[in-house]
Order: sequence, then C-alpha cells, then structure tokens
Amino acid sequence: MKTLRGLALLLAVPAAGAASMLVGGTPLSIGQILGQLAHPHQAAILNTIVWQLRLPRVCIAATVGASLALSGAMLQGMLRNPLADPYLTGVSAAAAAAIAVAVLAGVAVSALPVIGFVAGLGAALLVAAFARRGSGLDANRLILAGVSLSTLFAAIVTLAVVRAQSGDYASTIVAWLAGSMAGRGWHDLAIVAPYAIFGGLLALASFSALNALRIGDVRARAIGLDVDRAQWLILGGSSLLAASSVVLAGLVGFIGLIVPHLARRIVGSDARVLLPACVAIGAAPCMLADAICRAVVAPAELPIGVLLAFIGVPTFLYLYLHPVASRASPG
Amino acid sequence: MIELRDVAVSVAGRRLLSGINAGVATGEFVALLGPNGAGKTTLLRAIAGLHGLDSGEIALDGVPAAGLDPRERARRVAFVTGDEITFDALSIADVVAIGRFPYHRWWEWQTRDSDASAVATALAAVKLEGLGDRLLSTLSAGERQRVWIALGLAQQTPILLVDEPTSHLDVRIAHEILILLQRQARAGKSVLCALHDVNEAAAYADRIALLSGGKLCALEPPQSLLSGSLLERVYDIPMERIALPDGGLRVLAYDAAVRVERPAPPERRSQAPNA
Repeated sequence: MKTLRGLALLLAVPAAGAASMLVGGTPLSIGQILGQLAHPHQAAILNTIVWQLRLPRVCIAATVGASLALSGAMLQGMLRNPLADPYLTGVSAAAAAAIAVAVLAGVAVSALPVIGFVAGLGAALLVAAFARRGSGLDANRLILAGVSLSTLFAAIVTLAVVRAQSGDYASTIVAWLAGSMAGRGWHDLAIVAPYAIFGGLLALASFSALNALRIGDVRARAIGLDVDRAQWLILGGSSLLAASSVVLAGLVGFIGLIVPHLARRIVGSDARVLLPACVAIGAAPCMLADAICRAVVAPAELPIGVLLAFIGVPTFLYLYLHPVASRASPG
Repeated sequence: MIELRDVAVSVAGRRLLSGINAGVATGEFVALLGPNGAGKTTLLRAIAGLHGLDSGEIALDGVPAAGLDPRERARRVAFVTGDEITFDALSIADVVAIGRFPYHRWWEWQTRDSDASAVATALAAVKLEGLGDRLLSTLSAGERQRVWIALGLAQQTPILLVDEPTSHLDVRIAHEILILLQRQARAGKSVLCALHDVNEAAAYADRIALLSGGKLCALEPPQSLLSGSLLERVYDIPMERIALPDGGLRVLAYDAAVRVERPAPPERRSQAPNA
C-alpha cells in the first residue's frame, strides 16, 4: 500500500506534465512532442511551441506548485497551525504592494518580478524581526505581525488600483494579483531557480526539525532540538520558496494551504515523506490547472489564481470539516 | 545522578529559583513538592536545559550540563511534560519514535534497528505495546500521559524528569503512573518528579524535595517530612496526620476553623386559614 501510494505520487508529476504539454492553440500529438523533446531541431515552428511556449510553462507551473506546497508544509509544521499558508509572512502582500507601486511609477514590466521578489523577502525579514523573541521566534507574534503587515500592504495595493484606474495600469496590477503565468518563460525561471533551489535545500535540511516540532516547542527542545535555529531555517526556506513562486505566477492561492493537508492525509505527517509528497501533490495540480487556464478561454487565458480558488475553497472546507478517520501510515 | 550546586534561575527578568543545592542518586525516586508557583517546573526545566542558569552548576551523571550540546544533553536527561497539544494526526508510535531524535544527526533520516527496539521497549514499559498505530487524539488522559512517558523512555537516558504526571488523573491511573516511575527508578534511573499530592509523594518517593518561594526547604524521606510541621508552614494550612498500619504516615489538609456555612433554608409561611 505504501509503495503504491509512493508510485502513484511519483507518476502523477510526469503524467500531469505530459497532459499539460498536449494543451494549447496548436493541436500536437504525444509523438510530435516526444520527437521534438528528443530532437529539438526538427522543425522550427514545433520547436518554438514545445521548447519556448509549452515546456517552460509546464516547468514554471511545477515549480510554483511545488514551492508553494513545500513552503506551506514548512510553515504549518513550524507554527503547528493548520491555517498557516506561505503568504502568512507577508511575502505576497508586500510583493503585490511593491509591484503595484512600481507599475504606477512606470517601471518596466520586465523589472517587476525582481521588485516583487525583493519586497517579498524584505517583508518576511520585517515580520521575523517583529516576531523575534530572544534568539528565536514567537509563533503568535509571527502570525500577528504577518497578518497586520499584509493588511497594510493590501491597503497600499487598493490605493494603487484606485489611482491607476485612469490609465492601463489597473489591468496590469489586477492581472498580476489574480495569479497568472501568461508570458513567463525560461528567462523568469532562470532568475528564480537559484532561490527556489536554495529554499528547497533548506526544506531538506529542516526535515528532522519539522518531525521533532510535531510534539511542540517545549518537548522538541527537551529532546535536543535547537528550536531557535530550526525556526530561522524553516522561515528562511519557506520565504524563499514563497517569494520564488510569487515572482513566477503572482498570487496563486490555496496550493500552499491545501496541499500540505492533503499530503498529510495520504502519507502522514512524517516530514521525510510529507515534504516529497508535497512537491508531487503541489506540482501536478498546478500543471493541470495551468493547462485548463490556457484551454478554456483560448486564445485568452484564465488567471490560475482564480481557477485554483474555485477548486481550492471547497476542497479545503471538505478537508477541514472531515478530519482524518484513521491513521495514514507514512511512506 | 543529578547534582545541583547553588542553582539560581530567572525567567523574563524575575528570579524564580535561588540557592538550590540538591542531589538525586542513581536509582532514586525523588518527588518535588511545593505550592503553586514555588518553582517546581522551573527547576525541572533548568535541569533539562530549557532555562539557563543565573549562577550555580548542574551536573548530570558527573558531567557539567553547561558543556553539553542540546542533543548530548538529551541523551542524558529526558523531560516528560503533559501540556501542549499537537494538530497533526500523530500515532503513539510516531510520538515515541521522536524520542530517538538525540541519536541522529540532522541529515540522518533512516530509522535504525536500535530506534525500533528502543521504541518497542518504551511502549512495553508503559504497557502500550501493540497499540502503536492508535492516534494520540483518541487516547484518554491517562493513556496520553503514558505516551509522553514512553517518549522520555525512548530517549534511553539515565535521568528522567517528570512534570506533574498525575494531574487530572483518577486515583487508579495515578497509581499506575507512579508505580511505572518507581519501576524506572528501581531499574537504575534517577527520577525527579514534580507532584501536587503530598500523599502520592509519601507513598511512592524515596525522598521528597520541598520547594517554597524558589528555595529548597527540605530534601528528606517522606516519614520525617510528614511528621514535622514544615509542610503546614509551607502550604499554610493545618494538616492531620494519619498513621498507616505499616507505620507510614499520610496527611489530610483541613482547616476546621474556616468553614462556609450553608444559608438556612427560608422559613415556610403557614397558610392562612380560609376565611
């Protein structure tokens, strides 16, 4: 049973990737796509569609989904709060505010991801500074500071949208807020990759701490965990992952909140299997959702944030209102 | 073996313990008594390394605790506390296995044979063998307390600190928990256990450490502590002594001078005869 679950999760990612690659304005067969992937220079148009349009989108969707799910699992584990999501630390709100202000100021669209990334990480640092107690972090202060600063940044976004209504700026801001991967490509992925990979490595380094924290801070300290160091490690990793995702796709909600819940139901709460499961369960639906967004109103695109909210809210309510009846064994 | 030399501890700028000199020998069960706020939990936490010392020294099996890194310390001393709630759907086996944390470096993720055997031994010691798959959230208070003790036992430490293990438990379960701790002491561990019930301490502990206002007032066998007047002064309530057939003593705290009388029932008016 354990092996079957692991195999299913492992296969879900390439299956969702393949399905996503098939979706687009130009109908392509699996053979054509595989041929193009194996021999990239066969035909110029096919090459552009596969290598420059669809593959980067699939990779970006996978990165966004995996980053958000990992980030959410880390924060929920650290705070032992099932309502914690990657945006709790103000990463998204600060990025949104910075981008909204930058759009108003007429900053080039190509510079927006970097501005969002820097602002997002800056907000996480600010929240951490407010939450600092001694050499560690206070969970309640972290939540309060994150929620308060997010509210302030949201007000800045609203102000920017109101001010921008006279020009074309408002639609740029709103499109970004709704979460979308339209127009993203290898270049954006290259900018974000080092940070996302570093965030992923921090996640890997924090698995034993996350396991120990399941029994509470006091007991975790008593069994020899340096809780303060672990908190900084987890917060740093989750903020980097959340900021990477915000840069790539704007505000994509619910993946970071729901996927860790779903993963815990399937594989249990042992971080050794939970974190890899989050990567798979986060990446696969994000790739599928992106494909749906590209297909349903083609040639336009539905914002992925909107689609995921429609799917995510009922899923979250179902998961939250129907607690686990029996134990899911790890692995 | 635990040795405390002139230990002083402050928390949030407030001095909670001062001048504590005491020792718990190998194989000894010492009960820690004292009124609420006397510093029992603070002392246990200080020994476990959860609070720093203002001054003084704590030695664990002859080694100064200050020089130990957190994992090294956790291989010498286990701290069992019953508070805090987790949100994860954790099974008994999941929880107890976390007690093996001090034996792994942060990059070591594989479970070893020694982990599995330590978890099995700990579960057997608390009589929860075969129930490893049950969820923590489905257990009674007494069963959960056993799980927290098993977590401490899985650490395989020579020292066991236990914070109020019998709070909220009925007398039968409390008895089982205390016998379990006594058995650990007889097996060679140094057990220091904070309790609220003087009679529980008298019945199961080899010696009783009495704290008051952050100072250690006594560390002596139950019989001598219960026969004197120190307990009454520390708890500020008169105590009746009850002699047991085996020569032991128990106390009943009861202040007959303070009594809240029931209000007298209202007088019934006699019904006026109909005119």
